[in-house]
Amino acid sequence: MAPVPKEGELPPQQIHYLRDISFNNYKPEPFYQNYQQDVPIAIDLGTLNWRIGLTNSSEPNNIFPGVISRYRDRKAMKTLTLIGNDCFADSVLKSTMKTPYDGPLITNWDYIEFMLDYSFEHLGVVSDNGKLNNPIIMTEPITCPHNQRKNMYELLFEAYQTPKVSFGIDSLFSYYYNSNGRSNGLVIGTGNQSTSIIPVIEGKGLMSQAKRIDWGGDQCQSYLSRLLSLKYPYFPNKLNSSHTTNLFKDFCYISSDYQSELSHILDMDVLEEKDIVAQAPVEIQVKEESKKTEDELAQQSLKRKEQGKRLQQQAQQKRIEKLAQKQEEFDYYTQFKQDNINTPVDEFEDKLINAGFDNLEDFNKYLTSLDRSLKRAQHNDDEDDEIDPAQSWPLVDIPDDQLTEEQIKEKRKQKLHKANVEARERNRELKKQEEEAKIQFEKEQEEWRSRDLDDWSTTKRLEVAELISAYKEKQKLLESFKDRKSAAAQQRMKYIADLANDETGSTSAQSRKRRRNANATIDNDPNDNFGANDEDWNAYREITNSSLEDELEEINKKILKVEDELIKYDPNFHIEDTFAAATKFDWKNSVLHKFIHGPRPNITIAMQAEGLSPEEIAMHPETLKKNHQLHLNVERIRVPEILFQPSMGGYDQAGISEISSDLLRRRLDGNFSPGGQSYNLSQDIFVTGGLALLPGFQKRLEVDFKSFLPTGAPLKVRIAKDPVLDAWHGMQKWANSSDSRNAYVNKKEYDEFGPEYIKEHGLGNSCIFDF
Amino acid sequence: MSNSNSSTVNSTPVDLHALSEVTTKPHSFKQNPNRKVIPNRRYKPSRQLISDEIKYLQSLPNLKFDSSTYVSVTSPPSLLPRKHYCDITGLKGSYKAPSNQLRFHNVEIYQEVIKNLQPGIDQEYLGLRGANVILK
Repeated sequence: MAPVPKEGELPPQQIHYLRDISFNNYKPEPFYQNYQQDVPIAIDLGTLNWRIGLTNSSEPNNIFPGVISRYRDRKAMKTLTLIGNDCFADSVLKSTMKTPYDGPLITNWDYIEFMLDYSFEHLGVVSDNGKLNNPIIMTEPITCPHNQRKNMYELLFEAYQTPKVSFGIDSLFSYYYNSNGRSNGLVIGTGNQSTSIIPVIEGKGLMSQAKRIDWGGDQCQSYLSRLLSLKYPYFPNKLNSSHTTNLFKDFCYISSDYQSELSHILDMDVLEEKDIVAQAPVEIQVKEESKKTEDELAQQSLKRKEQGKRLQQQAQQKRIEKLAQKQEEFDYYTQFKQDNINTPVDEFEDKLINAGFDNLEDFNKYLTSLDRSLKRAQHNDDEDDEIDPAQSWPLVDIPDDQLTEEQIKEKRKQKLHKANVEARERNRELKKQEEEAKIQFEKEQEEWRSRDLDDWSTTKRLEVAELISAYKEKQKLLESFKDRKSAAAQQRMKYIADLANDETGSTSAQSRKRRRNANATIDNDPNDNFGANDEDWNAYREITNSSLEDELEEINKKILKVEDELIKYDPNFHIEDTFAAATKFDWKNSVLHKFIHGPRPNITIAMQAEGLSPEEIAMHPETLKKNHQLHLNVERIRVPEILFQPSMGGYDQAGISEISSDLLRRRLDGNFSPGGQSYNLSQDIFVTGGLALLPGFQKRLEVDFKSFLPTGAPLKVRIAKDPVLDAWHGMQKWANSSDSRNAYVNKKEYDEFGPEYIKEHGLGNSCIFDF
Repeated sequence: MSNSNSSTVNSTPVDLHALSEVTTKPHSFKQNPNRKVIPNRRYKPSRQLISDEIKYLQSLPNLKFDSSTYVSVTSPPSLLPRKHYCDITGLKGSYKAPSNQLRFHNVEIYQEVIKNLQPGIDQEYLGLRGANVILK
């Protein structure tokens, strides 16, 4: 059913379908088969996804979203606790799905405990002493608040009685995995709730110089969702967070030069490439209607036309036949009358009665009517046969006293007829004169053009410009009436109020005088000199503004006329230069249209032009489909850009590049010659975390860093091998190396030093005071 | 996708009770008779946790001056001149509507969108960049 694109018409855009969570392809969460005691368990505790595994395996055993669903099964009278991917086993769990986090922090520790139980079960943990006999390596947010770590320590040491625990930062673990563990670099960790920038010197994170931006993947997702709901306020489907997350992941990218890309993203050629159509599911009822092809339709109309023609011919034929018959009859009866001119009236009447007439009168009537109709037919055939005045109106010039009564009547008729004919003649003459004048004018114009085309066209153009300015003036006036506060509208109200005031009581001297003369009629009111002054009539004009619209129409007509001439004779004046073209709505020039509907014309307007009724348009499958579509264009770069300009998202914070610039040039030694700290760091700019998957991140950092690094400074930007899983890989690598030997806190140390105590191992937070 | 039929679409219905059992059964690794059980813990929202953390940090007597804390690692305000963008489209926004401070790209946006905004929507737009008025 897709229409064949015509010449110059744009091909249909590629359509992407909105992706939602699927409850139909549930895969059971795997259980780990190779559980061993004393092997550290690594838990990457993200606010979006948890990645857990024993460190005797090279990959995490379970990766699941950090969600929990406490579902009440009413039949079994039992509350079920489902976690992670299991929440997507059945859609009944959808409404009870919750997360233990509020923003970046854990707020519900019961949920965390459930989730840890679930994790350890899936890792195959069994114990014979009631304790969890594995060290735990866990990630925590940068500068983890006191309360968070305290609760986690309590949980691990008191509930699970873990022998020892170590905390670290995910982006540093990721860097550890992607380097030799002793290198220098600047680690940009993009998380789900925040983004951190940590300088690493000789394998150790320099936490005193680390910075955190409160913007991450989740903020991106919700920002996109807010943008879309404002952009399409009447969108029929509800967009949930998984829709927007998928849109963000699939289509957003980081622009390497935001300002210049922004100023061109709605240009037609760029938009054609950048605009993304996301289609939400829509139900379209297909009517059982045999659609006719274009060929069939054309044939049908041709057939109809032929039929019409045939009918016309038939009618013509019939008319001619009838006319011939009438003529025959007329001839016959005239002959008959002629033949019987000498027969007595009685006998003649008898003959007539035999022939089917009532009497002589009837016969005469019939004959005259025949005559008239024949004449009329003849008259139709040759319309304007010249009338000889002397013959047509013989009586007009004869004085009344020479005529009989009958003739006077006839004369009056002829007079009327004559006047008619003469008037027609006069009109024709007038028309001829006008035409001549027009031809004369044209001739003069022609001469003028041939003499000096430039002069002619300048004059005409000036004329058009004047008309246009007059038009605009009038339009402005008309527009200003709509605004209650405008001067014109106020003036109008004043007039109306004055008029109303005159009728009712006003105490001004003039109106009292007028009231005294209330008995006087309008015509003879001695005080009424309204209308003596021409401006008085403006009162009417300013009260009704319908005349203004008529004037606009008239000016428009004049403009069109002059422009037609210009188009005809001025080679430099084109259709595009006309006033109509300049004021006509062209969707290609409309920022709003391109922003909302992408690089395609509005199908509703096309359908209206086809003459479809509003209901037909509303129910048209194309319209329904269109109403369920989202266009992403500016948003594709606008949302990720907030990492670089957090002020766009409402955060008064510096972006990634500004912090890095400040760090490398000011807060570190700022030495960009070999051996300097800044020199070493700028050699390895490392990006990890979910947002590192956004296309263009590396390019953008290179462009931005080049802009502030001194010339000759080395610059290398790289993205983690697996930005999402490398944190866990780093924990696994670290757990199996000697670096982790003295990094754990055991129960005894915890009891002695309290929750603030951690061992600084270079991959985690620093202690806020000395112990 | 309706709730009623998606469970029937699953060719083998998932036994939610068995899945739940994994988490809720007694765990061999979590048997501490001495564990202090706190009944009915109240959970504070993030905002409150952060303000608690700030209070806690201020109360510490022996805090090192260069310790990295939740407050000190927060990105400082930007020193670069703030760029202005159209609140509606995100394009360059050189103009500001006098009535509601919304920034806009060109006269078309102003005429077609900003002039006809439903009440309250302007605040939603401003809220995108944290410039909305919050009544307390």
